[in-house]
Amino acid sequence: MPKRSLAEQLDQAVQAMLDHPGAETSQVDSEISPLLRIAAELRNLPREEFKTRLKRDLQGELGLSLSAAAETRAAGRPTASPYLTLQNAAAAIDFYKRAFGATENMRLLGPGGKVIHAEIQIGNTPILLSDEFPEYGSLGPKTLGGSPVRMQLNVDDVDAFVRHAVAEGAKVVRPVADMFYGHRAGQLADPFGYFWTVSTPIENLSAPEIQRRFDAMPHHQESAKGSAEVRKGFHTVTPYIVAQNAPSLIEFLQKTFHAEETLRSGPGSEGGMHCEVRIGDSMLMVGGGGEGFAWKGQTRPCAFHIYVPDCDATYERAVAAGGVSLGKPADQFYGERSANVRDEAGNLWYIATYKGEDYKWPGAPTIQPSLHPLRAEPVISFLKNAFGATELGRHATPDGVIRHATVKVGDALMEMGESHGPFQPMASSFMLYVPDVDATYQRALAAGATSMSEPANQSYGDRTGAVSDAFGNQWYIATPVRG
Amino acid sequence: MTVLKKELSDDQQLVEAAQRDRARFADLYERHFYRVYAYVVRRVPNHEEAEDVTSEVFHQALKKLDSYEWRGTPFMAWLYRIAANALADRWERRSKEGAAPSREIPEAAAMDDIERRAALFELVDALPSDQRRVVVLRFVEQKSIRDISQEMKKTEGAVKQLQFRALKQLRSQMEGANA
Repeated sequence: MPKRSLAEQLDQAVQAMLDHPGAETSQVDSEISPLLRIAAELRNLPREEFKTRLKRDLQGELGLSLSAAAETRAAGRPTASPYLTLQNAAAAIDFYKRAFGATENMRLLGPGGKVIHAEIQIGNTPILLSDEFPEYGSLGPKTLGGSPVRMQLNVDDVDAFVRHAVAEGAKVVRPVADMFYGHRAGQLADPFGYFWTVSTPIENLSAPEIQRRFDAMPHHQESAKGSAEVRKGFHTVTPYIVAQNAPSLIEFLQKTFHAEETLRSGPGSEGGMHCEVRIGDSMLMVGGGGEGFAWKGQTRPCAFHIYVPDCDATYERAVAAGGVSLGKPADQFYGERSANVRDEAGNLWYIATYKGEDYKWPGAPTIQPSLHPLRAEPVISFLKNAFGATELGRHATPDGVIRHATVKVGDALMEMGESHGPFQPMASSFMLYVPDVDATYQRALAAGATSMSEPANQSYGDRTGAVSDAFGNQWYIATPVRG
Repeated sequence: MTVLKKELSDDQQLVEAAQRDRARFADLYERHFYRVYAYVVRRVPNHEEAEDVTSEVFHQALKKLDSYEWRGTPFMAWLYRIAANALADRWERRSKEGAAPSREIPEAAAMDDIERRAALFELVDALPSDQRRVVVLRFVEQKSIRDISQEMKKTEGAVKQLQFRALKQLRSQMEGANA
C-alpha cells in the first residue's frame, strides 16, 4: 500500500481538528504537526468581508463626525475668519470644492441669485465669502487689481495637493520647493484673484533658527541691497524699441545722443536682431529688422523724455541725423528748455535740459519713457496694481486733464500725459526686471493684463514671461536666474 | 527592539495625523485591525461576537481619538484598554457566566501571542489568491473539502494540495518572522 501523500495526511488531521475542536491531536507526522497548529489558529481568522465592511462603517462615521464638528463650530465659531469678496462667488465656491476639497456649509442667496453670504470649510477652517457689493464698498481682488491678503493652506502632502489643484484650474505662482523655514511650500493663484500658499512642514525649526538661516542666505543679502533682481547696469524698466531698421535707428541714437552700443545679436526667435545701447545712465533695447535679417513684425516705438547737457546742440544733431522737428528748443515754465523730435522709426524724443545746477532734474535718469494714454488714471492704476508702481506727482488742468504725471516702478521713472496734438497713444514695449517673475506675472494678469507667454527659463539666463496691458503696451517681465 | 521603537514612533505620527484629520484614521485602522481582532477573538465564543466587539473598539477609538495623549503609552495599549473594557462591559450586560474578564491590558506573554496571531492573519492576506480562498473556506467557514472543490471548480486533490501549500507557506513565513 503506497504511503498517502502529506497533503492527504494533513487534510485528515485538519478534518479531525475541525470536527473535535477541543480534542488532543492524535499522533501525526512531525512535518504535519506544526502545520496543524497554524491551521488551528486560522480558525480565528476574521471573516473575509468584515475588515472592509468595518472600514466602510468607520468612514461613514467620519462623514457624520465631520458634519457634527461643523455643527459644533457653528455653535462656537472661531474668533477670526477670513471673508473673501469675489466677482463670482458661486463659481469660486465650486472651484474651492473641486481644487481645495472644500465643503459648503451654507449659502444665502439674494435677488438675482447673488451670493449675499456663504460659508465653506477647508479642512478644519471655515471661510466666509460673498459676491461683490460695490454699494457697500465690498469689492473683490479682480476689481481692485489684487489682494494684499494671502491665504495659507496647511496640508499633509503639498505636492499632491498642488498637482490636484492645478488640474482643477489653479495657476502655479511659485512652484513647490523646500523652504528655508522648514516647510515645503508653493503658491497658487485661483481664477478669482486670490493667492494661496500651500505648505507642509518638513522640519521643526525654532524661530531663532529660521532667522539664522534667513540671515545666512546670500540671495537675501543681495536683494536687501536691491540689486539681485535687476540686471546689472539696467533699471527696473527698460524701453524696448522695435524698428523696421534697427541698425539705422542705432546710428541715429549714436549721432544724436552719443549712444554706446553694448550688444548686437540675432537672429532671435522671430528672425530679428536684438541690440542694447547705453545713453548716459540709461539703457535702451532695440530690436527688429535690419539688412540681412528676415524679420517681419510690428514696429513698437515709444516716446522718451531725455536729458542732455545742451538741448539746442542735441536738437541740431537730431535733425541733421534725419529726425523730424515737432517743436524747436524753447524755455518751459517748469524750468526746462526742451525740443521735440520724431526719428525715422517713429519714436518721439523730448530733448530737455534742466535749468539747474545739473542738466537733469534732481534724481532723474537720463531717459524716462513717456506714455500718452487717452486717460492716465487707468494706466497709473494698472502700473500700481501690476508692478507696485507709486505715483510721485501729477499736474492736471482745472478741467481734470492730466497733463503730466510721474510714476516710479522699482528704481525706474516713467511719465505720462494724456494724449493731445501729435502726442497720441503708442503701443510700446518694455523690459521689466523684478525679483519674482512668476508673482509679478500673476499680479499683472490679476490687474487686467493678458498673457503673451507664461514665465519660463530662457537660454540666456533670465526667467521671463510676457503680458500685454489693456492700453496696448507689452511688458516682458524677467528675473535673472543665472547664478 | 529597534523595530518596535520604530513602530511606536510611526504610530505616534499616524495618531497625530489622524487627530488633525480624521480621514487619516484609516491608516491606524489598517495597522491595528488584525491586532484588535486577534485579541478579541480568543475572548469571545464566535466570530459574530468578535466582529461586534472589534467594531465597538474602533468606533470608540475614532470618537475618543482626541483624548489619546502620547505619553509613552503605545497607541496599541490604548486600543487594548478600550477592547478590555468593551469585553468586560459586555460580560456585565450579558449572562455573567464564568470569570469576569479583566479590564487590564494583556500581559507581555499574552501580547506576544496576540502579535503572532495578528502577524499570521496578515500573512494570509499576502497568500496567492487560490491558497487564500482555500484557507478562508476551510478554516473560517469550516467547509468540507468536497464543498470547497465544487465551489472552486477544482478536484478534491487539488484543494488539499492548495491547503497543504498554504499552511507550509505560512509556517515558513512565521518562522522567518520569528527568527
